[in-house]
Amino acid sequence: MDSCIGVEQDLDKATTKFTALNDHASKVLEDVINQVEELRKEISKQALNTPLSQSQAKAVSELTATVKQSVFQLSTDHRELHATVSRVGKSIDRHFIADYAAVAPKAESFCSDTNRPIMEQAIAQHLYRQGLEEVGDSLVSEAGVSAERGSTFAQLQRCAGALAAADPAPALAWAAAREHDLAHSPLPFTLHRMQALKLAREQGVCAAIAYARAQFPAHAARHERQLQAAVCALAWCTPAAPPPPPQYAHLLDPKALGAEAAELFVREACALLRLAPHSPLAGAVLAGARVLPALHDIRAKMSHPHVLAAWADDELPLEVELGEEGGGYHSVFACPILRQQASDHNPPMRLLCGHVISRDALNKLAMGVKLKCPYCPMEQSPSEARQIYFS
Amino acid sequence: MNEIKSLEHATLKVPYEVFNKRYRNAQRVLDVEARQVATSVSDIDTATKKGANSGEIDTLLGGMVEKLTTMKRKASEAITEEVQAAFVCKKRLEHLKEQADALADPSAPQAKTQMNQWRKVRLDRMLVDYFLRNGYYDSANKLADVRGLRDLTNVDIYAAAAEVEAELSARRTARCLQWCADNRSKLRKLNSTMEFKIRIQEFIELVREDKRLEAVRYAKKHFSSYEEGQLEDIQHCMGMLAFPKDTDVEPYRSLLGGWRWGALVAQFRWEHARLMHPARLPALPVALQLGLAALNTPQCYSESTQVSACPACQPPLNALARTLPHAHCSHSRLVCRLSRLPLNEHNQPMVLPNGQVYGEKALKEMMKEHGSIICPKTKEVFCMKRVEKVYVM
Repeated sequence: MDSCIGVEQDLDKATTKFTALNDHASKVLEDVINQVEELRKEISKQALNTPLSQSQAKAVSELTATVKQSVFQLSTDHRELHATVSRVGKSIDRHFIADYAAVAPKAESFCSDTNRPIMEQAIAQHLYRQGLEEVGDSLVSEAGVSAERGSTFAQLQRCAGALAAADPAPALAWAAAREHDLAHSPLPFTLHRMQALKLAREQGVCAAIAYARAQFPAHAARHERQLQAAVCALAWCTPAAPPPPPQYAHLLDPKALGAEAAELFVREACALLRLAPHSPLAGAVLAGARVLPALHDIRAKMSHPHVLAAWADDELPLEVELGEEGGGYHSVFACPILRQQASDHNPPMRLLCGHVISRDALNKLAMGVKLKCPYCPMEQSPSEARQIYFS
Repeated sequence: MNEIKSLEHATLKVPYEVFNKRYRNAQRVLDVEARQVATSVSDIDTATKKGANSGEIDTLLGGMVEKLTTMKRKASEAITEEVQAAFVCKKRLEHLKEQADALADPSAPQAKTQMNQWRKVRLDRMLVDYFLRNGYYDSANKLADVRGLRDLTNVDIYAAAAEVEAELSARRTARCLQWCADNRSKLRKLNSTMEFKIRIQEFIELVREDKRLEAVRYAKKHFSSYEEGQLEDIQHCMGMLAFPKDTDVEPYRSLLGGWRWGALVAQFRWEHARLMHPARLPALPVALQLGLAALNTPQCYSESTQVSACPACQPPLNALARTLPHAHCSHSRLVCRLSRLPLNEHNQPMVLPNGQVYGEKALKEMMKEHGSIICPKTKEVFCMKRVEKVYVM
């Protein structure tokens, strides 16, 4: 946010100055043109082809001097704005990171001849999943890759697209066909609510109430509060209604409601069909965008040469929380003693007491045939520990 | 540090470069026009000194008015263009600020939807940028139009580049030379060989058409001011004059090869991107690489442990993730393989006698349905009594 505001200030300054200069330039030029025209009028009063009088000659040379001076002044004024322009550029450089790729040394390899088709295939798949068949086709032909056009996602995206455009009809049809599976989902109610509010906007509140009577009772038990809010919101749907209070504003904004419903639809439909809600490309890019700032942070902090070795390792140099929507696809066991990820050579071992540590840690803690659990008083033999599998 | 600061430098810098270019262009227009006016001023001055009569002066003054009017029109046009270019930057800033707004109040009910929408737009922007930089202009235009992203992406800025590439593919060099001339100072700073390569190609074309004398004249005109390292290429070119155009002698055969045009297109694309973008790579492969690394686990590569929702597990990205580092993890992060729910104090990890760990909730559910536990991995059957707790610190 700060970075945006920083650049914005400099940019606004530049725009103001240029607009002012534009006005100033037209005014100055207009002015001199008028002066010249006046002088011409005066000269033309006198008989044709007579020499100029002394005073006229003086007036002409004075005027030409001012003209020359003011046009060069304009060009100088404009030249002086250079500082303002380059300040915007410097401000962008200062507030944003130009060389963002420095923390991703392997990204270059994604653009190599072997890897690029793989990446572009993933892009094409993503485009088809988004229901953008035309763009996908065009990429397939331009990049010369192949990708399957799945029909499931195209259908879902068409419903979601219609929802975002405030038309719940296709999504309602989709949901009606899967009524049983969606019994515990908030999706049907959300769609019906949207349809009711749409009717209220287009055909009047009476139509909406009729629709609500037919559809809402089935959902009354699970969505009581939301149902009340939706019905109350109808009060502000008449053409002459005053602006709605803030708690209903959201329900009466078809765009926001549509966007929210579209998102819910994609999430619920993908859960029902046991599909990931993001395309692999979108999921990975989302995670990558989260990782970047953290890596830039650490890069800024670490300038010590031996620290650079961290980049060459086979692990990222730090742990990044990917949020609720990223990561968490696999169980990762990190040994609580060694603070290290378990591997095939160093698998998790369950001690008799139930505590889990890695085999390397177990070997280090064992004193001959005796091992004391690091977390509880129990003593046992190292051979009694058992390998367990988290995935 | 945040995602905007890390990723969006080019989003602003590219339109800024356009703004900067328009500024320099406007300066040139103003200088040229001012000089024009100045010439007419000195004409008038000499005329008055010579004692010209009123008719002559009137004509001269009329000429000056004309020049002043042209200057006024051109100046206003040029400055308006500058302001428009600045406005493009402004629009992108507004878009970036939308994300900050959503972050400012994450508890608001629409904040999450807003954020997701914004991210979707960001991915589309990245894709358009990637397409443009790889010459997939058609896809870029289509995607930008479908999503309404013309203002937020560089499709219009790249339109000129697309034209130059099309001309080059059709073996016409005029547009590319024009482009080189327009950006001469910057290209020189980058040590670009673009113009030299085009000149060589034009020479080759003259030889191909058997206009050898003309070729020599062309060489005199353009190769005499060669720079360091270019002499060898020039020598090869001149050597060509001695051979027939269907020669099998290297390097002359390959100089006459048609593939050189394709290489010129590729070089132009690269030089153009270098001129516009401070970063060498588009944002998409960078974000994708880091994202895959962050999601990458050793389990992504064995069929029995792959997860369908994990981007690093699925082809085609799986092949890319294989070469990458794994996510760093110093605290265990466990999920139940059956329910995909996290394993924690509310959903205890439980170990079956065969060592396989699952969540308590999923195992209880299974007990309810089948009356026994069937390990999904080994298909062994156990009773609930033999299932033990696991404590992960």
